[in-house]
Amino acid sequence: MTNTTDIAAVTALDVPRSVAVVPRRSRPLRRRRLGPRRRIPFSSVIGPLVVLAVWSIASATGVLDWRTLPAPWTVVTEGASLWRNGTLAPDIVISLQRAALGFLAGASSGIVLALISGLSRVGEALIDSTVQLKRAIPSLGMIPLFILWLGIGEGFKVAIIAIGVFVPIYLNLSSALTGLDNRYVELAEVLRLSRWQFLRKVVFPGALPGLFVGLRLGVVGSWLSLVVLEQINATSGLGYMMFQATNYGQTDIICVGLAIYGIFGLISDRLVRLAERRVLSWRRTLNS
Amino acid sequence: MATDTEQLIGTTAVRVRGLHRQYGDRTILTGLDLDIARGEFVALLGRSGSGKTTLLRTLAALDHGVKGSGEVDVPEQISVVFQDARLLPWNRVLDNVILGYEGPNPRERGRAALTEVGIAAREAAWPSELSGGEAQRAALARSLVWEPELLLLDEPFGALDALTRTRMHGLLRELCAQHQPAVLLITHDVDEAITLADRVLVLDEGRIGLDLSVGVPHPRSYRDGRLAEYREHLFAALGITEDAAVRTTREN
Repeated sequence: MTNTTDIAAVTALDVPRSVAVVPRRSRPLRRRRLGPRRRIPFSSVIGPLVVLAVWSIASATGVLDWRTLPAPWTVVTEGASLWRNGTLAPDIVISLQRAALGFLAGASSGIVLALISGLSRVGEALIDSTVQLKRAIPSLGMIPLFILWLGIGEGFKVAIIAIGVFVPIYLNLSSALTGLDNRYVELAEVLRLSRWQFLRKVVFPGALPGLFVGLRLGVVGSWLSLVVLEQINATSGLGYMMFQATNYGQTDIICVGLAIYGIFGLISDRLVRLAERRVLSWRRTLNS
Repeated sequence: MATDTEQLIGTTAVRVRGLHRQYGDRTILTGLDLDIARGEFVALLGRSGSGKTTLLRTLAALDHGVKGSGEVDVPEQISVVFQDARLLPWNRVLDNVILGYEGPNPRERGRAALTEVGIAAREAAWPSELSGGEAQRAALARSLVWEPELLLLDEPFGALDALTRTRMHGLLRELCAQHQPAVLLITHDVDEAITLADRVLVLDEGRIGLDLSVGVPHPRSYRDGRLAEYREHLFAALGITEDAAVRTTREN
């Protein structure tokens, strides 16, 4: 664009006498706006609020049978009474503990193995193709084998969650490490960075966006595995509570469980995003 | 690659003899000889694919695994400015400028370099917030921090608009007059070469085809009538006619 201006300027200097005066358009040209418009304030809560409103109206008017889905206020009061009589808190604690331990174990092993395979050719040869193979087997499919190995205690649950978390974190981080732009490698060579400086100042910061993609997928994965595990192989936890409620047709308790899963999923995702925004403040995307 | 004693005493910054480089079956450089004196500003022209960048990468010791032979003597301290500013997007400007520098007072030194290139106020900006010209100024500042004996520039202004490019030419001349590095500027722009350089080389068929000293005092304008003769010479060496050349430089 600036080029065009410059050529125009040069031409004007060269032939000052022969510049034609083009009459200006009196009405400004209007352009159809194709980019997204300005965001509606609080846009992220509008959709859920509408759903909640429709649900409430359907329950209040009796269109929605309470045995199919209880009214929103029933879910809230049921949750409150479960909390008060002390049956909810232990289930929440044990579920949170499983998810957190599994996530920590999966994330740390994912990061360590990705570093080994991303930074050394030997590590790559040993680890990478193995993990790529493992990727073909869904981690939940390994439940039977792990029950035989570890029994159906907590260790087995944490292990299954950890594997589900490990895979996306490993894949995203190792590909971010190996996919570093070669131009930056060249720059580091010109500036004579030591191997450690190169890792610390170029490779690691460059791979952080990939790590965060992996962490976010890992968080989602940990909840998913937790839900499945608690509903089929548990004697405590939110999933067990919901599974029991099925036997007695208690849709309100099932909904309480779902709501808590949802809240935890939302909070953990927000936490990772918050960390991401802090750490990757140099990134300016279309959303900012 | 090491600086030998003879060179330390002498006035040569770069000495290349019989440089041969090939990629696979394609021979890029065939017995190239090149001398650059200390503090001399040399521009290197050549058609695309003529091996300009291969030569620069050889001098910068960036050509890992490229087959070839020849004698290359370069100074210890070399800085490279690439066509893209190549700033790390996750470092603020000042941290980019002093990246890898471990001498005394790196931050003061970095600030001084940023002041020299005229963007001292931008030290805390992210690279993504810089204009093309500012980014390239930051890249120049990064190369200055090291007080290079040899400055290699690989089409550093190729991606800039014409107005910014002219400003950068003035800045580069000033910086070179101040710091006196030997300079090898790779460019495809004949006007840029004759405005800036003490000596213009044309790379042809793998060696230096034309070696032209430009005897016009600085500062020069590319409109300077005395440069016309040099321009014609270079166009002829590059195998382009004046009309086509004027068109291409304007379009660029």
